[in-house]
Amino acid sequence: MLAKYVARRFLASLVVVLGVTLITLVLMDRTRGTYVPGIDLNPALRPEDIARLRADLGLDRPFYIWYLTWIWGVVHGDFGRSMIDGSTVMSHILDRLPNTLELTGTAILIGIVIAIPVGVIGALRHGSKADHTLTVVSVAGFAVPQFWMGLILILIFSVTLEQHGLPWLPSSGAYSAVNGGDFIDRVEHLILPATVLSFFYMSTWSRFIRSSMLEVLSQDYIRTARAKGMSERRVVYLHGLRNALIPLVTLIGLELPGLVSGGLVVEVVFGWPGIGKLAFERALQYDYTTVMGVTFFATMLVIAGNLLADLLYGVLDPRIRYS
Amino acid sequence: MTQPLLEVQDLHTVFSTKEGWVKAVDGVSFELHPGETLGIVGESGCGKSVTALSIMRLQRPGLIKSGRVMFKGEDLTKATEAEMREVRGREIAMIFQDPMTSLNPVFRTGWQVAEPLRLHHGWNAKKSLTSAINMLGKVGIPSAVDRAEDYPHQFSGGMRQRVMIAMGLTTTPEVLIADEPTTALDVTIQAQILDLLRHVNQEFGTATILITHNLGVVAGMCKRIIVMYAGRIVEAGPTTDVFAHPKHPYTWALLRSIPRLDAERHEPLKPIDGLPPNLVDLPSGCAFHPRCAFKIEKCSRDVPALQRVGDTQLSACWVTQAGTELKGA
Ligand SMILES: Nc1ncnc2c1ncn2[C@@H]1O[C@H](COP(=O)(O)OP(=O)(O)OP(=O)(O)O)[C@@H](O)[C@H]1O
Ligand code: SF4
Ligand SMILES: [Mg+2]
Repeated sequence: MLAKYVARRFLASLVVVLGVTLITLVLMDRTRGTYVPGIDLNPALRPEDIARLRADLGLDRPFYIWYLTWIWGVVHGDFGRSMIDGSTVMSHILDRLPNTLELTGTAILIGIVIAIPVGVIGALRHGSKADHTLTVVSVAGFAVPQFWMGLILILIFSVTLEQHGLPWLPSSGAYSAVNGGDFIDRVEHLILPATVLSFFYMSTWSRFIRSSMLEVLSQDYIRTARAKGMSERRVVYLHGLRNALIPLVTLIGLELPGLVSGGLVVEVVFGWPGIGKLAFERALQYDYTTVMGVTFFATMLVIAGNLLADLLYGVLDPRIRYS
Repeated sequence: MTQPLLEVQDLHTVFSTKEGWVKAVDGVSFELHPGETLGIVGESGCGKSVTALSIMRLQRPGLIKSGRVMFKGEDLTKATEAEMREVRGREIAMIFQDPMTSLNPVFRTGWQVAEPLRLHHGWNAKKSLTSAINMLGKVGIPSAVDRAEDYPHQFSGGMRQRVMIAMGLTTTPEVLIADEPTTALDVTIQAQILDLLRHVNQEFGTATILITHNLGVVAGMCKRIIVMYAGRIVEAGPTTDVFAHPKHPYTWALLRSIPRLDAERHEPLKPIDGLPPNLVDLPSGCAFHPRCAFKIEKCSRDVPALQRVGDTQLSACWVTQAGTELKGA
């Protein structure tokens, strides 16, 4: 039953993957113009040189042929080579993946750990000053653009602190180029981007937990729990939260692709060598293969995230049965 | 008479709303004796549930303004939260109207039934579950060992109410408050659950407060009943006496609104005219007077107190207190 469900979901997702990568390709193909990836168009190049380069890269063929070739590559487990540096797309992704996971994983973890108590407090004291304050902070969390918040943090914690001769935090990269890379060094680099990203997650999820918790706390079984003589903490955090977290799982599952893409803006602002930044840079350079590889990867994560959320939902909520 | 187990004295519980203070319970007093089944009846919104919840101090967001709830020599309205937790689910258990929503959907039934034992007696998971399964069997759940593994949604409404009852009884409480335990169930299932409650009362000697708006339920279950109207008790007494000759026009009207098996009087059924009053702004004098067929001039001016009328009954009505029998109309 479950295997069948998963299989069906996977087949359906195939269509999604094809659609997404196709759109990516068409968009890039249509906006590229005469640009040839990997070279700056210098005037010394004669038209026949350019034509030869284009033919080498396969750009003279219509995009659907190109696409089918790419698919062929994917089916054979090969994402092809970057059009710019010639190394395999997979090696690029694998190269950047740990950095991205480090940043988004930390941010998601901090986001959840803060969002749960913040959401629960908001629900327990709804309408109070504390609740209103938390609401304002949360709304700021998804209203303030990440790049702006990133720049402000850099301005304060890197630039200003350094100017005043105080200890400051690095504003760019995942580790210091010189003598860097140890644990402390990585953590120092992680603080600012992880703050920006986790603030966003915290805001969204705490609002969500608050409303979900509010609904759960008005349920009859909560009254039953109290009538059984439980402490308020057990009522709220066991009987209440256990139910309130069910819908949150879906939300976090949907955030799984954020492991790759959610940090894009933050990665660019903080020069974080992750997958988001890779996609951003390569898109500007029309490195078709790399961008499509990353897109493919991200789409697979969306699908896997959705599926995982669904399955987890079934584990958490005994009323759900798959068919 | 035996010493009462539970004594509610002049209880006032209010809710703050936009329109003003809702006096949900407005000076209610009654006694519950060991092993007895006491019925509380009245229309929807008359304060039955709030009375019950106030005893457990679960009336939030309501506020107990005054009054006492004496239980084993202690005033529960003054008890600390920690003391109340020891009372709830251990000495006084409560079951609710809607068994479909009163069990937590994400925990196994057996686990939930066993929870009060772990909480109050500190038993381990295995011991408490064994005892819970035993209790599930006693309340009539077939193959309880397997069913304990199931989740609430896998049970029918009647079975879930049995589970609720088992959950209330695991700790063998002295008082069981059943708030409309059958209202949400089919008629045949209702009878089964009432049978079970009667059986439980006999087997465990648990004193029971049975809250209902169905007089038929009270008739077969309770020796004594209390009739509430607009947050107050308007009549109390032995069920047979109250049914035979009600001493309050509200009770009298309620009785005329239900079909009776012993229909020696061939009167047509008559629903009570009008609506229950707004609890924020009660009618002056007797709160029932806008709907009362017997009212006299005094009724809209002065509030009648609950007083002895006849040998066994209490009534809060000027007319019956003056000795008039309720008849006709
Ligand atoms: N949370 C609340 N806020 C405001 N008013 C409330 C609240 N809970 C109950 N009340 C009021 O208290 C009154 C008594 O309610 P209660 O639930 O005790 O009635 P009831 O007799 O149990 O009725 P029912 O038969 O519908 O269960 C109602 O009129 C209701 O308006
Ligand atoms: S006091 Fe008056 S209004 Fe109230 S029930 Fe008696 S007769 Fe009716
Ligand atoms: Mg009620």
